[in-house]
Amino acid sequence: MDKIIICRCEEVDLEEIEQTVNKYGSSARETKLRTRAGMGYCGGRTCRPMIDTILEQLTGEKPKDKIPLKVQPPVRPVSLARLGDKTHHE
Amino acid sequence: MLDVLIIGAGPAGLSAANACREWDLNVLVIDEFPQPGGRLLGQLHQEPNGKWWNGIEETRMLLEKADALGADIRCGLSAFHIEKASHGFSVYTNQGVFDTANLLIATGAAESPVPIPGWTLPGVMSIGAAQVMTNVHRVRVGNRGIIVGVNVLSAAIARELQLAGVEIHSMALPALNIVNEEHGHPRKVMERLVRMAHLAPSAWIRFGSQFAKIDWMRNLAVKFYPKHGVKMWGLPIHIRKAVTEICGKDQVEAVTICDITAEGERIPGTEQTIEVDFVCIAGGLYPLAELAAVIGCPFQYIEELGGHVPVHNEQMETPLEGLYVAGNITGIESAKVARAQGALAGLSIVKRMCRESEDLKQKIHEAKQNVRTIREQVTIQFHPGIHQGRLKMETVFKEVCDQ
Repeated sequence: MDKIIICRCEEVDLEEIEQTVNKYGSSARETKLRTRAGMGYCGGRTCRPMIDTILEQLTGEKPKDKIPLKVQPPVRPVSLARLGDKTHHE
Repeated sequence: MLDVLIIGAGPAGLSAANACREWDLNVLVIDEFPQPGGRLLGQLHQEPNGKWWNGIEETRMLLEKADALGADIRCGLSAFHIEKASHGFSVYTNQGVFDTANLLIATGAAESPVPIPGWTLPGVMSIGAAQVMTNVHRVRVGNRGIIVGVNVLSAAIARELQLAGVEIHSMALPALNIVNEEHGHPRKVMERLVRMAHLAPSAWIRFGSQFAKIDWMRNLAVKFYPKHGVKMWGLPIHIRKAVTEICGKDQVEAVTICDITAEGERIPGTEQTIEVDFVCIAGGLYPLAELAAVIGCPFQYIEELGGHVPVHNEQMETPLEGLYVAGNITGIESAKVARAQGALAGLSIVKRMCRESEDLKQKIHEAKQNVRTIREQVTIQFHPGIHQGRLKMETVFKEVCDQ
């Protein structure tokens, strides 16, 4: 068992991400879209920093000031009922 | 409508709430954890002056004050989105939407994962999770474990686990791969260890570390690092051994560990199996800034602060009117710094809401000084370049605001 899981939700391993980046020269976002790493239930909360690090190591580029993988709401898992609930507290 | 909504009831959020209540602002603090205190709750360590830092006690004092001042603190609420609105901000939570004129994001930090084969097995946890289970929930994390990742945080928590009667076999590095270079390379680890050596309980280690500040000495120290590790509180700390795999069928049963060269390469034939029932992985902390990102606050990548940090100034203001940040979201530092930053952020919000008086001006000045003084005094420093990091951020803030 030598597999190193990176994205737990979508079960994407290190080798697959490395191969994708090497084959397509993909950015963090493109890598995410191609492999689904970071697109699971948790919204990339665990693997986001790892994907950034892998990209940094493979491309040799230091992270820029913009967060590589755009953060989008909801930033926590939330039920659809709650998502649609627009009740404002007083 | 609220004057101030504070996200995060840790040391920064609570002290900010107290500062705002002292000036009679209408404040609500929310936190996703079931109890207030944030990561302060888990902290328990002896400082070099012999005094104990007890996070539960520190939290109690902050809460007592908050209670006396009538601050509203609600737990189990997690914010999943923020929108700008004409009145200020609308904060979407799992318990409805809150409208506020001012918003302080004090969400602290998250732990960086360090992946190695088998790290998703039940029984593997981050070192911070082990800390919370032990000191907050009072749950035994296992009978015998190993800590993967040697740094300030993991050494402090290893000690806490020991104090709670949990057996720790040893601390070792993760086997090097491209994701964990910072934590798997003996020389890099040694460099960081040397900077925390003043905390070491042994005079011998403190003495030795003086020499290790010299480059070639440090290289020798890595090269001739004792085979049985250096013991701290009786716990072997290895920087020339790495955990290559966590093994087990349905849960952790053992780890495979091997000797490594000074460059972190595995030495074949040195593999050993160690039976453990839990593994703690320690990869350090990074600012937890998702909410600042969804509201469109500009960011800056500053390594000395721990990664991507929302742009802010010394008064804890961001370039977005009414949006403030405090605590570890602004850079990884001690809880004492976070607490001081929170008080300062609270006063900055007061300044925006109330007429500026000489008294308030003076208080803000003092709060700013207090952050600086505490930063100088703290014994645990996660990033040695914290001062440079803070200066860089000041410059960036001015640039962003000039544009």
